[in-house]
Amino acid sequence: MKQRVTKVLGLLLAGVMTLGMLTACGGKNQDTEGGKDTSSASKETVKVGVLVADVSGEEAQGFRSYYEKYIASNYNVEFTYTDALESAEDEKSAIEKFASQGCKAIISLSGSDRAQQIETCEQYGVYYAVASGVLEDEQFETYKGYEYFVGQVGPSNATEFEAGKAMGEFFKNQGTKTVAIYGAFIPNPMHVYRLAGTIVGLGDTYGGTDDMNGIIGQIFQDQTLDLSKVEGDTEVVAYLQGYGDTTTDELNAAIQKSPEAFLSVGMATTFFTQSLNEAGIAFSDIDSFTQANGDAIENGKLTYLAGKYSSSIGPVFALVMNAVNGNVIRDDEGNAVSISQGYLVATDKATFDEYYVSDNGDSPIYDKATLDSIIGDNVTYADVKALVESK
Amino acid sequence: MSTAGTAKKIVGTFIIPVIVFLILEGLCLSKGEHIITNAKSFDNFIVYVAIVMITTIALSINLNSGRFDFSLGSMAALSAIIGAKISYAIFGGGKGSALCMLLVTIVAGLLLGLISGSIYVLLKIPPIITSLGVTLIYEGVMYTITDGKYLMTEVQNSSMAGFVGTWIYAAIIIVVVLVLTIVLFDHTRFGFDYNALKSGQKVSVNTGIKEVKNALICYTICGGLMGLVGFLNAARNTTINGGQLNFGSIAIMFTAFLPMFIGGYISRYSNEKVGFLLAAVCMSMLNSTFAVFSNEITASVQSIINAVLLVVFLIYLNNEHLLRKIFTK
Amino acid sequence: MKEKRNIGQMITTVLPFAALVALFFIFIGVVNMKGYRLDMYLKIAFNEGVVLAVVATGAIFIYTLGTFDISLGASTLFSATMGVMTYNKTENLGLMILVIFAVGIICSLFNSVLASVFHIPAFVTTVAMMSVLTAVAAKIITTEGGALGGIRIPSSVLKPFDSMGCKIALLVIFFAVSLFMFRFTKVGRRQKFIGGNPLCAYLTGIRYNKYTIIAFVMAGIGVGLGAFLTLVYTPSVTTTTASSIGMNIFIAIVFGGMPISGGPFSKIYAALVGGFSFMLLNDILEIVIESNAAYGITQIISAVFFLIVVYLTSMNYRTAMLPR
Repeated sequence: MKQRVTKVLGLLLAGVMTLGMLTACGGKNQDTEGGKDTSSASKETVKVGVLVADVSGEEAQGFRSYYEKYIASNYNVEFTYTDALESAEDEKSAIEKFASQGCKAIISLSGSDRAQQIETCEQYGVYYAVASGVLEDEQFETYKGYEYFVGQVGPSNATEFEAGKAMGEFFKNQGTKTVAIYGAFIPNPMHVYRLAGTIVGLGDTYGGTDDMNGIIGQIFQDQTLDLSKVEGDTEVVAYLQGYGDTTTDELNAAIQKSPEAFLSVGMATTFFTQSLNEAGIAFSDIDSFTQANGDAIENGKLTYLAGKYSSSIGPVFALVMNAVNGNVIRDDEGNAVSISQGYLVATDKATFDEYYVSDNGDSPIYDKATLDSIIGDNVTYADVKALVESK
Repeated sequence: MSTAGTAKKIVGTFIIPVIVFLILEGLCLSKGEHIITNAKSFDNFIVYVAIVMITTIALSINLNSGRFDFSLGSMAALSAIIGAKISYAIFGGGKGSALCMLLVTIVAGLLLGLISGSIYVLLKIPPIITSLGVTLIYEGVMYTITDGKYLMTEVQNSSMAGFVGTWIYAAIIIVVVLVLTIVLFDHTRFGFDYNALKSGQKVSVNTGIKEVKNALICYTICGGLMGLVGFLNAARNTTINGGQLNFGSIAIMFTAFLPMFIGGYISRYSNEKVGFLLAAVCMSMLNSTFAVFSNEITASVQSIINAVLLVVFLIYLNNEHLLRKIFTK
Repeated sequence: MKEKRNIGQMITTVLPFAALVALFFIFIGVVNMKGYRLDMYLKIAFNEGVVLAVVATGAIFIYTLGTFDISLGASTLFSATMGVMTYNKTENLGLMILVIFAVGIICSLFNSVLASVFHIPAFVTTVAMMSVLTAVAAKIITTEGGALGGIRIPSSVLKPFDSMGCKIALLVIFFAVSLFMFRFTKVGRRQKFIGGNPLCAYLTGIRYNKYTIIAFVMAGIGVGLGAFLTLVYTPSVTTTTASSIGMNIFIAIVFGGMPISGGPFSKIYAALVGGFSFMLLNDILEIVIESNAAYGITQIISAVFFLIVVYLTSMNYRTAMLPR
């Protein structure tokens, strides 16, 4: 019996010690990292927290490697990433953790509740910027005057709409008469705006209107695209959304209707590339520039890809860095900065490579030289805006 | 056996699938469609039947014995990931990679099942708890192997596409699994022990049945079956999601509840495993019907319909005697 | 033999507390070593654990009966959703709170009615309820929230409640009530009896249905309080709000040293102790392991630790046969 107690205690101790050792290792790691950085800076390393909801997507990983590999080695900055944040509660506690870790700024790629994020950052005096997606107009109006809200650089909802519209127009101009559409994760707002744009771009109306707000309002109500409400130049023969048990059947049904093209507002390149290549149907997506998508454009039927490149989150870093260094850039009215970033479009391998290959590794599109032109004490709103809009 | 008895058995066995077919086909016809519209959709139909049937059998093996297992989904996904990685390393997506992946995935599944079972019999804590731990561990391993990405290159090749491009392979799998499980659970020493343990754990253990061995075999079989499911899912979806943390993988077991109970009902008139097959056919018909109505019925409405069907069916099952009383009055 | 039993019992009683204390000190050590702000981190850990602790404490009444409810996370989401909807329609705080609790209790009662009146196994009904509640809440949130992707009440509404004092008070009151019911009234005793041996309990004249309904009402109150505290922390509801609670309840209860099968060894404090232990463990791992692929590894370590603790705390009620 005594033995048993000892055994139990032993196990418990072992457990605690293992943890202790882990802690120790963690500590050491930090030390070595700290040591490596000292060469570059006399100033203290700036800690920046990054909120992420998606940790597995290719785009998210591209962003991450740009920040952690390229930016962190060129600037005196250390990025800390969150776990995949699932809800508004997660976001808030992540911000609080960053604040207590001494982060000076937070860059958000997570959008469960942006208003909450801004309020929390304001409360703790941490600079905050949005790098993916933007606030709703009304929300932005509410928060643009907040002291620690640096701003947002990314595709606005109107840009999402335009991206969808450009994709629709591309196929319409090619003379495509019938299409199938994949609505990705409706009612995700980003996908709703892109879908609405796609409809308009194809020369169609939804419920009798081709006005952006008119269409998105209806899609949020319908929670899907009701094909009976689509009318106009291009016939939408099939529509599917989401991803689940019925998706294979729905895709099959869509392929059976032999559309001339398959338009997707997101994620199709992850889910459907093989099936669509085999069916020989030209398809498009609004996604990101990744290796797999390059293959699909070169050897497969991917004919139109709108996407962001990994270093497109460079300007947000510049804004944040300026703010931390004391130059909080404000727009002409003295409010937080809001600059919309467009999508890049590739319709052939050459253009694709320009955005993908060149943006990888040591020479990203927003490289150090470019970023340096908008990091500094005298940089103004106009400088940043001009640079972002030129890319 | 009297002919009346046989007739009753046949009617009892096929009544649910037939009724389900009539209702769903009627619904589809109202939209000018069918449950199965063409050869391709028939292929999909059979593949889905195989997936549902095997999942249901795997779920029922342990659940029948009172062992709740949350780890089914994680075993399916992890074994498929292992299978995909290894087969891709050997064949590079060329000819034969589907067969290779199938075999490796099954072996990996058997192994994962054995590990899961071993943890259970070694720790001797309730299976529902070990399965929570095992699920988290397998999800963690999955994430670590894949970096949390979708696995695409490894499973997107013509060999894999060919496998689900015809109903024949899926049908062969269905038959093989059916025959094997029927033989194993109804005609072997292991099966007799299993059934004894199922209905009377204490008595069986006292009569000298080795429960630990039996449980280990059950878990191993379960794992192998889920490996098969993982393979079929990978072939059907052309991707495997490697980023399912925090119990993201457990939903698969909930979808198997309804066919399990339907199968249980049918098994009154025939073999339990055949019941699961027919139940899987029903579920596949329902799934195809959802696909036909996908523009009207969103995913959330689907899950509500599934849940309501489950509850209604269970209310019927558990109150049959009362209902009978009311109607025979 | 008796001595052995006593020591075993002592271990199962003490170990969860010991684990909590050990984790607490490791947590403090880790935070200090990294040079993070301890006061803030303690607050964060409390906020993370409190909703889980409250909902799981209510759930203990259900688990004691030997059954379980997987839909509690979904109920929390649903009642928070209905609360926000109510406030946005009426701008009445009292009514909102009333609705939150009413919805929590009604959802839970509905489960118990299905379980006790229609004789459906509770784990199946709660699985069904989980998908229905999640789907309905998601529908409401996405339709109402539109491009915002979520629904919210003005953050000033619940600001007065957003203090440690208030949250601790709510937790203490709820725990005290639960403790009283569980320890000092016949409700707890009889529920343990039912959980331990339903047939025996039935034969001694204990009405199963009555105690099932009481158990689910308590769980419903826990859900309501959990939803309220969620809104206090973040006044917005998205489709993923409280999504992690459903499964974490299992872990919290078992981590706190209670057998998942309920019965005589059930402990009302299990959820409180286990819930906070689990959150501390995850926070420690999160602080210690910082790397891209670490999410998977963190989860593996936390699961292994979980199994070890459960193994040690379950020594007391281990049987010769394999448990089910």
